[in-house]
Amino acid sequence: MHLLLEQLINGLTIGSFYALIALGYSMVYGVLKLINFAHGDFFTLGSYLGYTVLVFGTALLTAHFGLWGGMMAATVVAAISVSIVGIVVERLAYRPVYPAGRLPAVVSALGASIFLQNAIMVIWGPRYQAYPSQLIPNMHFQFGDIFITLLQIIILVFSFLLMSVLYYVIQRTTFGAAIRAAAHDRHTAALMGIDFNKVILFIFTLGPALGAVTGVMVGMYYRQISFTMGWNYGLKAFTATILGGIGNIPGAMFGGLILGVLEMLGASYISAAWKDVFVFLILILVLIFRPTGLFGEKVAEKV
Amino acid sequence: MKSLKYLVVVGALVFLFAPSLSAADAQPVVIGLQGPITGAWAYEGQMAKQSCEIAAELINKKGGILGGRKIELRVVDDAGEPKTGALAAQKLVGQKDVVASVSTYGSSVCEPASNIYEKFKKVNIGYGVTAVRLTERDFKYFFRTCGRDDSQGKFFATAVPKKFKAKRIAIMHDNTAFGKGLAEDTKRALEAMVKSKAVSIVYYDAITPGEKDYKVSLTNLRESKPDVWYFTGYYAEAALLVSQARDIGITCPFVGGNAAINDEFVKIAGLKLAKGCYMTNEPLPGDLPYKQAKEFLAAYKAKYGDIPSSPWPIYAADALNIIAYAVDKTKSTNSDVLAAYLRDKVNRVPGITGPIGFTAQGDREGVPFYLYVVDGKGKIVIAK
Amino acid sequence: MPVNTNSTGSARTLSVPRWIMPMLAGAILLIYPFLVSDYYIDIAFYFGIYALLGLSLNIVLGEVGLFDLGHAGFYAIGAYVTAILNTRYGIPIFVLLPVSGLAAALFAYIVCSPIIHLKGDYLCIVTIGVGEIVRIALINNPFDLTGGPNGVFGIDFPRIGELLVIDSSLEYYFLIWAVVGLSIIGLISLQNSRIGRAWNCIREDGIAASASGIDVRYYKLLAFVLGAGLAGIAGNIYASKLMCVSPESFSFWESCLMFCIVLIGGMGSIPGVLIGAAFISLFPEIFRPFAMYRMLVFGSVMILMMMFRPGGFWPRKRGGVSYRSLMEDSGD
Repeated sequence: MHLLLEQLINGLTIGSFYALIALGYSMVYGVLKLINFAHGDFFTLGSYLGYTVLVFGTALLTAHFGLWGGMMAATVVAAISVSIVGIVVERLAYRPVYPAGRLPAVVSALGASIFLQNAIMVIWGPRYQAYPSQLIPNMHFQFGDIFITLLQIIILVFSFLLMSVLYYVIQRTTFGAAIRAAAHDRHTAALMGIDFNKVILFIFTLGPALGAVTGVMVGMYYRQISFTMGWNYGLKAFTATILGGIGNIPGAMFGGLILGVLEMLGASYISAAWKDVFVFLILILVLIFRPTGLFGEKVAEKV
Repeated sequence: MKSLKYLVVVGALVFLFAPSLSAADAQPVVIGLQGPITGAWAYEGQMAKQSCEIAAELINKKGGILGGRKIELRVVDDAGEPKTGALAAQKLVGQKDVVASVSTYGSSVCEPASNIYEKFKKVNIGYGVTAVRLTERDFKYFFRTCGRDDSQGKFFATAVPKKFKAKRIAIMHDNTAFGKGLAEDTKRALEAMVKSKAVSIVYYDAITPGEKDYKVSLTNLRESKPDVWYFTGYYAEAALLVSQARDIGITCPFVGGNAAINDEFVKIAGLKLAKGCYMTNEPLPGDLPYKQAKEFLAAYKAKYGDIPSSPWPIYAADALNIIAYAVDKTKSTNSDVLAAYLRDKVNRVPGITGPIGFTAQGDREGVPFYLYVVDGKGKIVIAK
Repeated sequence: MPVNTNSTGSARTLSVPRWIMPMLAGAILLIYPFLVSDYYIDIAFYFGIYALLGLSLNIVLGEVGLFDLGHAGFYAIGAYVTAILNTRYGIPIFVLLPVSGLAAALFAYIVCSPIIHLKGDYLCIVTIGVGEIVRIALINNPFDLTGGPNGVFGIDFPRIGELLVIDSSLEYYFLIWAVVGLSIIGLISLQNSRIGRAWNCIREDGIAASASGIDVRYYKLLAFVLGAGLAGIAGNIYASKLMCVSPESFSFWESCLMFCIVLIGGMGSIPGVLIGAAFISLFPEIFRPFAMYRMLVFGSVMILMMMFRPGGFWPRKRGGVSYRSLMEDSGD
């Protein structure tokens, strides 16, 4: 029993990473119907920027603001810089392609992903980079037989906080309503006076920022980052998005958490080597019986 | 737009018809190097390139071979992929002035590449390719300067349980060709001891490389209560495993395979956790007692500031050295002459990694293994 | 009827007869290998493999508009069926050529039947899932068949007794391009047949198609089965050329490359697919000397290409993809 509980916490930690990345996918998809393949690389970029801030700002930051100050600074700098990159990528690579439809945009997104990933490699080199372990709290608690690290608790709390804020913004504010309206029907929304450009600006600021924050958290949690890791996380997060029902914000959150837990169950009760097969099989089964995902609404076919 | 379309078609054709690289003047002796200059193993490939350049420079400084001819290195990138590896090999065999090739780092890349070298009769010497099967194909032109996975597995079985007085052994691999191969060979080497009930293998499973979270696998490992834990994958995962294992309370000694521990491992895991981690390994560059090694490493350090952080690039340098040696002694660049000479006549020729000789299959004769440990300063030293 | 994005006016002003380009291309293909070294022949061989893969995906993605990002899975099935049956039972490669095509087609039939009703992106993620499941299964060596991460090695050359042994770069080159040529002939006649028209009709408007009596499910499945079969054949030739197969050749990345081939070339356009395949297979080789920077250029070129030629390099003229279907969800 204690084993299951411990694995569950591990699963939720990974799941919250997936959920935060999935939000970026889901928002972009909801409004633009675009699978933003570059999103995984925003996450990687955030991770590397956080690394640079921690490593090169060490003396300054940690001396003045302590361990927590250093972590916060890394997170904030990464989030702000990556959201700027996000807007630039949207302007340069996506906006000129929108008029041509969604498929060219997918290729453009793949191109942007290749570009970003290799730019990261050129800037930081092909080797793995290590987050400095002395700058990260590494306490762990033992409750009976259960081991939990302090960092795990921080990550879980922080992720749930972020998700709740986003949930509130999207579901309860006027601006959130505008985004949902734009996602539902862009043309009608425009007629209702919703500034579509503002909506796009918003999702391409917030999505990459969330990805970058996740990147920094992943860096601190595992301490090791590589320029290709965005691909893996991106694929999983995209899976989570679909599992929850694409374009559906709460769906993406739950999709991510469920995916993390499923992965954990597959790894501990079936086999670690087969766990991704298990995850994809569940996904396929869910889609066979609920073709629009767990939380997706049934969309009437437009004729 | 229409004209643009044709322009591109013509452009593609021009490339296809581009003349193949013409043979350079016959003066230098050209030796090829096929390695992962880009891609996931770029780090290893680039160090191999540097090592071979240094080795060639050293030979040239001493007046070259064959009475004054210089060695020229021709590098071809295989990106660490089988398909690109086959293309790279094809590129090298197509260049008539390339005498022989140092090729390559990864076993699954070496497989198709060595088929091509074999077909076009060109001596190729692997430097990081440890899969056993490579030399079981009875190829005439394939050799390797590095050891094989099963020699390491055997070493583990004879040395490790005794050292730690371990009865319960956990083996974890990473499902790569290398990691799984080593894990299987280790399991095989332990079989006799398992039968006689001297030890038992309590855990045997794979993790997926490239992921970040291994806590689930590690929790299972913890529950199997091993006395010692052998991980046969690469350093990137090893570092994660060690730090996560300590988080969830695994305290048994960690022993890594020869790709698991290097300076990067210490950096990622942090000194506190890395300290006391063991690895089975060929002697590291800095521990090589030979004169050739000291000379080579001094030259390498002078140029790049530090000695190579992994053992493999040195094997690449030795592969280049032994090719140059064979060409010099036989006064021939004929592949058949060279292959026969390497197989039958090369015996205990002093090299950077010790005396070089090849078995009838093309394996390196006698590659020693040691148990290494990370000491309190983060240095990787031979365990007492 | 679809409105073409490409005005046909410009084509009329250039008075090049329709048959000139294919003839010219054929002639160049015939002469080319006799002028260059084996290395360049091999590059053209891999170009051929990607052309075949692009053509196979084009059936699913280009003709019917179904998002398939797991095509490497079918390619892998073909390659591994060839590898396993040849190394274990010594069945000749030529016999396995149709067998591996059929095996991949059967596999596609089995896995696609339950999921064929899914729409656009949901279908897309499921195909990604299928591709990944295949790849992970290959790594995990089920029933000791696939050799795990090592793969299967020691695959024979295609041969008919001692009469015809294909073992040189030149012969492989002709083998792949003969198969590509035959596939193109077959695909062109398909495009102009009832089936091709039904496919295009489904792509443009699925609901209208089923309203006019087209069995949408059947035609979608047929596209998957044919596409997978062709990819399986590509796998067969690839396996015998490399003489070994290993899982890393069939990654998600490979599926993405095929996807790009079709979109860069122009959906549903056969010459387009050839250009897309040339771009994907030649570009990294040409720019290999640039090492680290080559993929940066590659990514930017992909973006630029979509900016300036969103319909692909050589969009299909007749029965081409309409503007509307590009704008909206396609394939359902």
